[in-house]
Amino acid sequence: MAHLHIKNLQAGYGKKMILDNINLTVEQGEMIALLGPSGCGKTTLLNALCGFVPVSNGEIFAGNRAVSQLPAEKRNITMVFQSYALWPHMTVAQNIGYGLKVQKAKQAEIESRVSELLSIVKLEGLENEKVTALSGGQRQRVALARALAIRPDVLVLDEPLSNLDAKVRLSVRHEIKALQKQLGFTSLIVTHDQEEALVMADRIAVLNQGKIEQIGTPEEIYHHPSMPFVADFMGAENHIEWPTNDDAFSLNLSNHATPLDIYFRSENAVLSTQQPASKDDFHTGLVINGHVEQSVFFGNNYQISVRCGKHTIQADHDQNLPENTPVTLRVPTDALHAFTKNVEHAEHQKNHAVTV
Amino acid sequence: MRQTTSRHLLKNPLWLIAPAALMVGIFFLYPLCFSLYSAITLDDGSVTLSHLNKAFALYSNDIFFTIIIVLISVAILAVLSITIAALITLSPFRSLTKTLAFLYRLPLFIPFIVTAQMMRTFLAKNGLMNNAFVASGLLTPMDTVSFLGWSGIIITFVWKQLAFSTLLISGAMAALDDSQIRAARNLGASRLRILFQIILPQIIPTLGVAMVLSIVTMMSVLSVPLMIGTGSPTMMTADMAFRINSYGDYHVANALGLVSYCICAGLAWFYLRQNLKEKGAN
Repeated sequence: MAHLHIKNLQAGYGKKMILDNINLTVEQGEMIALLGPSGCGKTTLLNALCGFVPVSNGEIFAGNRAVSQLPAEKRNITMVFQSYALWPHMTVAQNIGYGLKVQKAKQAEIESRVSELLSIVKLEGLENEKVTALSGGQRQRVALARALAIRPDVLVLDEPLSNLDAKVRLSVRHEIKALQKQLGFTSLIVTHDQEEALVMADRIAVLNQGKIEQIGTPEEIYHHPSMPFVADFMGAENHIEWPTNDDAFSLNLSNHATPLDIYFRSENAVLSTQQPASKDDFHTGLVINGHVEQSVFFGNNYQISVRCGKHTIQADHDQNLPENTPVTLRVPTDALHAFTKNVEHAEHQKNHAVTV
Repeated sequence: MRQTTSRHLLKNPLWLIAPAALMVGIFFLYPLCFSLYSAITLDDGSVTLSHLNKAFALYSNDIFFTIIIVLISVAILAVLSITIAALITLSPFRSLTKTLAFLYRLPLFIPFIVTAQMMRTFLAKNGLMNNAFVASGLLTPMDTVSFLGWSGIIITFVWKQLAFSTLLISGAMAALDDSQIRAARNLGASRLRILFQIILPQIIPTLGVAMVLSIVTMMSVLSVPLMIGTGSPTMMTADMAFRINSYGDYHVANALGLVSYCICAGLAWFYLRQNLKEKGAN
């Protein structure tokens, strides 16, 4: 395993550029999640790394080797595919051992490596099964073993869990993470599921329209998004444009005079049915008065849609509330993500540093 | 009213297939049975093997020739159509493969008789191909060789059937999940290795279908041996036409038909057995 270094990478299909000047370093033994909406270029980035999409500019280093001009078969970067991509005419052992067979390894060596990998991915005893006889979770583990068999410099995983059903997905997710810690492989995983990225990755790179918008640890990305897109994508679905020119809102931020884009999560909006709060509530960043529009049961709580003027705000609450109940929402200062409006690189207000 | 009709139809589902069954019966099964019957009976209706004996005595060389021609054609066909389909699927040069994908389909729309006529003017001793060689100074008019004869028949069969079998095979290759090929590539496999170890084992059933159907087509073509063959030995279809046109001898012609039917049926049986074996193994 080696570190992966991507420098000023540009790639695309034909004349259409998908990736725009990507710079990224994956340290040895680190797992980085590429997170972004559909069409943001995350799969294209993996394909460019593997050599399936030509690189038009920039360089990729696997360890100290420059690989961007090498054909796919010489890069020593292997991929785990969303569709498993196992070969149905081969047995489990033949699938896993194929890369070694291509490298002309001795039969005995192939056999011992295959049985070692089968025990790593907990599929002992299935070596002679046809892959078509396996379940989805088992197939993806065979695909993982196959990709690891040749000891690649870098392992890339393209939405490896999205074809699995919810319960299996959780267990395979856990297994991949445990294996990554145990074997220490350098890897990039593509996902559009923010929870998957938070749980599995050492660092997360959020992509949008072919650019890396922010890169950082899961905690940094979650708590300190650097721009509105990242905040929105990481689940801060409530958005208010300040000033609102509406008496129902009051904001206690130091810079509340400037136009702001404010984002916060529904779980951070504390809902109460008490009398409306005064505007001088110094312990809260944002206070909103409104009426219940809809209440939806989510299992562990209710998600309440609160209508406040032209805005609809989502808030979590432990009780069901009838329609039109007057309510007050309070969002603590440190749960607010406020961005100065109309500035190219909006500065994220360090919420805990805001004076009230 | 409508309800009763549909209920009636549901009670007698056989009605639904009656038109199709009738067509097959009248236009295919009846002539086939009649032809087989004619091959093994005398005019008075008594069973005999004399027509078959006569067919073998007169035409065993041609039967053998037919089998050899068809087998050689089908072998060349398999190699060429796999090569073209593999180039289309695996080649990194997109514009080249697009041109190839367009060109290989052209013979699909040209009938056998036109193909045969084309090949006649192309392959003859003073035909287009030799003239081109002479004009370019590669050959003198004395050195030219006519390809009319067995090699011409093979060239025509391969040229005409190539489109059909490549269409089937490249379709089967395109239907494979692209990530299967990518997975092999990033494990270090070359394109040639991917063709033989990943793609071909998965498209063998389609290859079988393409080859069996091509054999049946080649066995049934009359125009090509008549126009490109040089007389003796020739293919069985030419002999059948000769028996009927020159002697009005339908019995021996049908006996030859029975032989050619048996050859095709034998191949179909072999193919089906292989197919079932593979399915059983799965």
